[in-house]
Amino acid sequence: MTDDREALEPRADPLAILARMWLIRAFEEQVSALYGKGIIRGLLHLGIGQEGVAVGAASALRAGDLVFATHRAHAHALAKGVDPVRLLAELVGRTTGLCAGKGGSMHISAPEVGFVTATGIVGGNIPLAIGAAYASRARPDDRVALAFFGDGAGQTGSFHESLNIASLWRLPIVLVCENNGYAEFTPLSAHTNVERIATHASTYGIEAETVDGNDVVAVRDAVGRAAEAARGGGGPRFVEALTYRLRGHYEGDPAKYRELAELSDWRAKDPLTRYRDRLEADGLLDAEGTTIGRIEAEARRRVDSATREALDAPLPAPDDVTRHVYAS
Amino acid sequence: MAIPRLPSHRLMAQLRTLLRIRRFEEALIELARTHDVGHFHVYVGQEVTGVAALDLLEDGDVGYTTHRNHGHLIARGVDPAAMLAEILGRATGTNRGKGGTLHLASAEHGFPTTSSSVGGPIPIAVGSAFAFRELGNRRVSVALFGDGALEEGAWHESVNIAALRQLPVIFLVENNSLEALGQKANEYPSSTLASARLADLARPFGLPVAVVDGTDSRAVHIAMRRAVRRARALEGPSFIEAQTVRWPGSRPLWPQLLTGPTDLAMAWDAGRIGDEYRAWHERQDGVLRFARELLAAGATTREQILSIDEAAKEEMRSAVRFALESPYPEPREALEHVFA
Amino acid sequence: MADIRYVDAIRAALEDELAADEAVCLLGEDITLGGPFGATKGLVDRFGEWRIRNTPISEATVVGLAVGAALAGARPVVEVMFIDFITLAMDQLVNHAAKLRYMSGGALSVPLTIRAQFGATGGFGAHHSQSLEAWFAHVPGLRVLAPSTPADAYAALRAAIRADDPVLYLEHRGLYWQRGEQADPAAVDPWRVRVRRPGRDVTILAWSRMVPLSLEAADRLAEDGIEAEVVDLRALSPLDLEGIVASARRTRRVAVVHEAVTTGGLGAEIAAAITEAAFGDLAAPVLRIGAPFAPPPAGPELEALFVPSVDRVVEATRALVRGPAAASVGVSPAPA
Repeated sequence: MTDDREALEPRADPLAILARMWLIRAFEEQVSALYGKGIIRGLLHLGIGQEGVAVGAASALRAGDLVFATHRAHAHALAKGVDPVRLLAELVGRTTGLCAGKGGSMHISAPEVGFVTATGIVGGNIPLAIGAAYASRARPDDRVALAFFGDGAGQTGSFHESLNIASLWRLPIVLVCENNGYAEFTPLSAHTNVERIATHASTYGIEAETVDGNDVVAVRDAVGRAAEAARGGGGPRFVEALTYRLRGHYEGDPAKYRELAELSDWRAKDPLTRYRDRLEADGLLDAEGTTIGRIEAEARRRVDSATREALDAPLPAPDDVTRHVYAS
Repeated sequence: MAIPRLPSHRLMAQLRTLLRIRRFEEALIELARTHDVGHFHVYVGQEVTGVAALDLLEDGDVGYTTHRNHGHLIARGVDPAAMLAEILGRATGTNRGKGGTLHLASAEHGFPTTSSSVGGPIPIAVGSAFAFRELGNRRVSVALFGDGALEEGAWHESVNIAALRQLPVIFLVENNSLEALGQKANEYPSSTLASARLADLARPFGLPVAVVDGTDSRAVHIAMRRAVRRARALEGPSFIEAQTVRWPGSRPLWPQLLTGPTDLAMAWDAGRIGDEYRAWHERQDGVLRFARELLAAGATTREQILSIDEAAKEEMRSAVRFALESPYPEPREALEHVFA
Repeated sequence: MADIRYVDAIRAALEDELAADEAVCLLGEDITLGGPFGATKGLVDRFGEWRIRNTPISEATVVGLAVGAALAGARPVVEVMFIDFITLAMDQLVNHAAKLRYMSGGALSVPLTIRAQFGATGGFGAHHSQSLEAWFAHVPGLRVLAPSTPADAYAALRAAIRADDPVLYLEHRGLYWQRGEQADPAAVDPWRVRVRRPGRDVTILAWSRMVPLSLEAADRLAEDGIEAEVVDLRALSPLDLEGIVASARRTRRVAVVHEAVTTGGLGAEIAAAITEAAFGDLAAPVLRIGAPFAPPPAGPELEALFVPSVDRVVEATRALVRGPAAASVGVSPAPA
C-alpha cells in the first residue's frame, strides 16, 4: 500500500488511488465531527464529494510539480502527499501542524511535497501558480505548476489577467477549474452568463477540456494530457472538472439554497462509489467487499491515529504570535 | 462612402466638432512648448470615432473616459476654454483647477469623471448603467477606453456583470494600435494581449460585437446606433472596437506636431501632400477624410469648410487667452471639496 | 568614486544583482524599454527577455505572479509604475506576499521586491502623485525602504533584493536626476537611520525627497542660530526606533517631515513611538509637517501649496524651537 505521505505516481496502483480517495473522505468526515464538537474552530470548507478531482489531478503530476489550491484545500493537499497527521495538527492549531498552527484550514502549506499553499482569497492563488510556471520557464526546469480554483474564481479579474499572461508567455501551467456549480451560496448562473468556465480559455488561445470531475480516471487522463503538453513547451492548458460539493460551503452552512433532488442526484454519482464500481468491474475488488472494507477501515484507522497524535501535540506559546513575521 | 446618412445640418455639426477638437489639440501642443501643462495625451487621429459615436447620446446619458479625453468632452459640448483653463490649473477650469488634464470632468455634459488608472472607468460605467436600469430611465452609459485597458482584470469583471444583468452600457474600445497586433513595441504604455482580436474578449459573454474603422464615421455611427438602441431597450451591453492608426505625433511621450498644423486644403488638393507622412494625410487622418467625403457628397463646399475651420481656430485662440488670463485658485481651495 | 544620479544608482543595483544571482528577475510594464524614467534601460540586452520581462497592464496579477515565482525559488523585482497603481495589487501584496511566511509557520519565504515610484511633481494630479507609505508600514511582514541619496538607493535596493522578506522599495521621481557620491554598499546599513547633519537644537526626521528639503531648511535655520539635526530614516518599516529616539533625546525637540498627508501618516506613528519611549526627555510635543488632508491637486500652483515646502519647514521648526509648542501643520481643520 502506498504510504499516504507519498505522491501518487501517474501509474499508481488503482487500489492506491482508491485508498487515497478514502483517506480524504475519512479525513474530511473526521474533521467535520471535530468541528461539530468545537475541537476545530474557525472556518472549515470540506471537499467531500470532490475527491475525484483532487486525486485524479494530483496522480497525474510528478512529485516536483507545484500545486496551488483554494480555501477548500484539504483534499488537494492530501492528494499531493501531505502528511495527514501534520494536516490534522494544523487544523487543531498545534505546533506540530504544517504551519506551526498559524495558518489553519485555509492557508495550509507543505512546500516539501509540492503543495505550495492554499489561500483564503478567491482567485488569489491563480497568479501565484502563474508565477511558479514563469520561474520554471525562465530557469528553465521541467516542472509544471497547477492551480485549482472554483467556478466562482472564473469571474475574478485575476483569472482574466492570469490566463492572458499564461498564454502570452506560453507558461507550463495546468489550470484546473473545479466547477461545482456554486460560488458560496450562489449558483453559477447568478454569477455569470457563461455556462462553462473553460469557454474563457479559448479567448486566450488556451486549449481546454471539460470532464466529468467525479470520474477520477477521466480527470487523471485529462490532467495528464494537459501536464505533458505544458511540460513539453506547449503552453498552458485548461481542464474544467464538473463536480459537486456534498456539504455546505463551509461547515455550518445548511445549504438551503440547493434543491434536495439535486443533492441526491449527485450523491448517486459519488466519486468513491463510482471508482469502486469500476474496480469491481475490472475484477480488482472481490465481490464480497473485503478489500473495499479493508481500505475504508484502514483510512479511518489512519485518521483516528492522526487525530490522537495531533491532539497530543502542544499548543503554541504566546511568543509564537510574533514569530515568523520576518525572515530573521 | 463613409459618411452617415444624416441630415445635412448634423453632418455639418459633426464637421464643426471635428475641426474644433483638432484645433484644440494643436493649440494645446503649441501651448505646451511654453507653459507647464503637465503630462497630456491628444486625440488627434481618433476624432471621428468620438464625434460620430457620442453624437448619438442624449441628455442624461453618461460617458466615462481615460487620459485621452479631450475629444470626448468637446464632442459632448464641454467648453474648450474651461478645459484649457483646467489643464493649466486655473480656478475657471472644469474641475476648478483640481483635476488637470488627466481628470477633466463635467457632470452636466455627461462626463462625471475621467479616470487615469488604466481600466479605471470601466467598472464605474457599468455602475451607472446598473443605476439606470434600476431607475428605468432608458439612459445609456458608455465606457470609453483604449486597447491597453483590456488587459486589466477590471474589464473582465465588468463585462461579466454587465452581460449577466443586461445593463445598458456600451464598451467602446479605441484601438489606436492598428499597426502592431499582439505584442507592441516602442509604444507607451504597451499593450499585450493574448487575443489577436480584441473583440474575442467580449464574445464569450454574448455581447454583440462590432469592429470598425475608427475613421469611418458611417461605420461608427451604425455600430453605435445599434448599441444605443439595444441599451435603451434593456437588451444588454455591446462591444464596439474602433480601430485607428496611431497619429505619428503621439509617438514620443509628449505630443509633437510632427504632421504639422492640419492643412485642410489637403482634403481637396492632393498636390499639397508631401512625402513625409503621406499615408497619414492621404488615408489615415479621419478629419481630412471626413472633409473629403462631405465634399464628394456635395454636402458642403471648400469655402464653407475653411470658414468653419477659421471659426474653430479663433475659438481656440480665444480659449488659450482665457486660460492664460484666468486666476489660479486660492490656496484655501486646496482643502475644499474633500468631503461634502 | 564619481558622482552618480539616483536613477542610475538604481539601475546599477539592479544590474549588479542580476549579474550576481540568476534567480533575480525583473517584471513590469515597459521595462525592456527602460520604463518611463529609464531605470531599467538596457538591461534586457544583457540579461535577456525572460529575466527582464515586460508585462501587460495587470498589476494585480503581476504582483501575484511575482509572489508565485518567489515561492518557486526566484527572486523577482516588480516595477509598479506609479505607487497609486499599487492599489490594484493590494490583495496580492497585503494578503499574500506579506503573510505567507507567517501563515505557513515559517515554511514559505517570499523574497520579493516591489519598486514603486512616487511623489507629487509636475502637477500630474490625484492618480499619479500620492504618498502611500503609511499603509504599507502598517502591514506586518512587509518591509519598506525609502532612500534619499544615490549611495543609499544603491545599497538599499541590493539589500531589498537580498532580503528574504517582501520589500516595498520607494523611489521618489523628484530625486531621479539628483547626483550624489557613490559609497561602498558594505558601509551602508539601509535598515537604520543616518544622521545627515548633526545638530543640538531640534531633530528633523525625514525620508526620501523631504531629506534634501530638510537639509535646505536646516541651512536656513542655521543662519538664524538654530542648529537642526537632520535624520534620514531610510527604513520606514520596521522603523529604527533606537536611532530615532537617540536623536530625540539629544535635541529634545522633534519635527517629522513627510510628503504624505499628515493625518494618519507615518509621522503619527513616529510621534507616538517617541513619546512613549522618551516623554520625559522632550521639551515639546513632536511636530508633524505633511500635506493637508486632501487628494493631491493637479496643476503646479496648487501642488506647490500641497507639498511641504522649505519655507513651511523652516517656519514650523523655528516655532517649535523658539515659540510655544506649535500645532502640527497641514492637519484638516476642525469640522465646521
